Amino acid sequence: MKKTQTIKPFIHLLLAEDDKDDRFFFRKALKQLDHKVSLTMTDDGTQLMNYLTKKNSLLPDVLFLDLNMPCKNGLECLVEIKQQARLKNMPVIIYSTSVHNDVADILYKNGAHYYVRKTDIENLVLALDKILKLVEKKELVRPLKRDFVLNVLELH
Amino acid sequence: MVVFATIAQASSAREHALDKQLLPGQKNTFFQSIVSALNIPFIILDSRFRVYYQNDLFLKKFNYKDESIRGKLLFKLEGQQWDNEHLKKELKETLEQNRDLNNFELQFENHQNMVLNANCVAKGNRKFILVTLQDITEIKRKQHREKEILKHSIQVHESEKQKLEKAVKRRTKQLEMKNLELARANKELESFNYISSHDLQEPLRKIQNLSSLILKEERKHLSKTGKDYFKRMQLTAHRMQSLIEDLLAYSRTKNAERKFENTDLNELLDEVREEYEEKILEKKGEIVASKLCTAPVIRFQFRQLLHNLFSNSLKFTIEGRAPIIRIRASIASGADLEYNKLNPKTRYCHITFSDNGIGFDPQYSERIFEVFQRLHTVKEYKGTGIGLAICKRIVENHNGFITASGKINKGARFDIYFPLNKL
Repeated sequence: MKKTQTIKPFIHLLLAEDDKDDRFFFRKALKQLDHKVSLTMTDDGTQLMNYLTKKNSLLPDVLFLDLNMPCKNGLECLVEIKQQARLKNMPVIIYSTSVHNDVADILYKNGAHYYVRKTDIENLVLALDKILKLVEKKELVRPLKRDFVLNVLELH
Repeated sequence: MVVFATIAQASSAREHALDKQLLPGQKNTFFQSIVSALNIPFIILDSRFRVYYQNDLFLKKFNYKDESIRGKLLFKLEGQQWDNEHLKKELKETLEQNRDLNNFELQFENHQNMVLNANCVAKGNRKFILVTLQDITEIKRKQHREKEILKHSIQVHESEKQKLEKAVKRRTKQLEMKNLELARANKELESFNYISSHDLQEPLRKIQNLSSLILKEERKHLSKTGKDYFKRMQLTAHRMQSLIEDLLAYSRTKNAERKFENTDLNELLDEVREEYEEKILEKKGEIVASKLCTAPVIRFQFRQLLHNLFSNSLKFTIEGRAPIIRIRASIASGADLEYNKLNPKTRYCHITFSDNGIGFDPQYSERIFEVFQRLHTVKEYKGTGIGLAICKRIVENHNGFITASGKINKGARFDIYFPLNKL
């Protein structure tokens, strides 16, 4: 479990990501934005579930969930989260390299909010900006299936 | 049966002969003349199976001397050819039951095959048996030969059959192996898809991210040359990304589901034309399309085909010459189309796509459809060399053919043929 320094404590983000570089890029992207954010990170799915199911744990406003993780993968975590009363309303955003239609279908069916594809930092910045703005306005709701994969190119 | 008729005729003559108690050797009697006329060996046995009379043919046939057999028991004649229990029994019954013995087959030791016919006659209280013999050795031999030939041809047939069965078995085994290989290859392809879409892109993305971070945050520490190196590195990484993405698109073209829909090709053309509108305007180009036809196609693939052909034509333009793309389509039978791989009786949709661009050396007309085959450097014309390979695969998915023809600086022309009837 790594807790980074609070950037501007307001929106609480949780990132489950096993890749050190990707955690680094995520932080870099957040730094480029003006939102008040606190970021907690876990290294894999097991750590994530341990964190979330701990009594009195602070639930994030949004969870960013990688798919390919050791021990417990992103989909397994998503399914568990949506089965638990305390956790099921927490928005989950999938953050992964590949966008396979059938994988996206499964994730949408299992209650994920959005699917953000890992591309370059510029795109990640745009995607985070969009999501954080929705959180601030309390408008982060599940979109229609066709808008599930967040196409950052359209945000340009 | 002719033999029996003769014997029957002979029997009345025989009565005379017997009446007169003729002895063999006395020539020219009525009885003897008739018996001599019989062209087969003939003997008469008395009721105790002793030779009562025989004709010359009989003596000749079995190499007997007249006096050596007369009055002797048939079964005890020289050579023991007649010492046959079965024959004894049959002749006994013939005599006792007054019946005929028909076509009794005898095989002698000298390999002669004989058919024996016998019937009974009574004279007063004496009984005689008339016996004719027919040599069927040749017939038997012929039958045997035919049987052998038949047997042989059956054997040959059998061995051919076995050979064929073996070949079929071998081929089936080969096919099974091939199927296994294919399944394995498909599986590998799937995992390749995953690796290239995920694992391969992952480190690449990181290289791109890190180099853009350097250019952004460490710019001031870099010399002009350093910055140039980084820019070139980014371009290279970007190119690699395009290659991976195109390769994936290529492999997906093969594996995708094939759903044929009757489609108005004009609609597809309009959709693609719209995509390129800006680029065509920018180059002051023109698209000249005659009315296309309706044909059964895999919509999204056919759109991709047109897309790639447009992209190709708009890429390889000549500086200062406004690009003109001409598209025509017609329906014709294979016999009426000038391409020798077509089935003459099948009806095809024939699409011609031509431009006035840089064209190509005709010797490369096959090669331009191969994956990663490029006729120009990346610096001259961008691209990964997969576009036309995808075109070829799409046309093949439609059971069709695509050919390219062209001359340097005289434009390129693509001919697409695909059958109208789909499975």
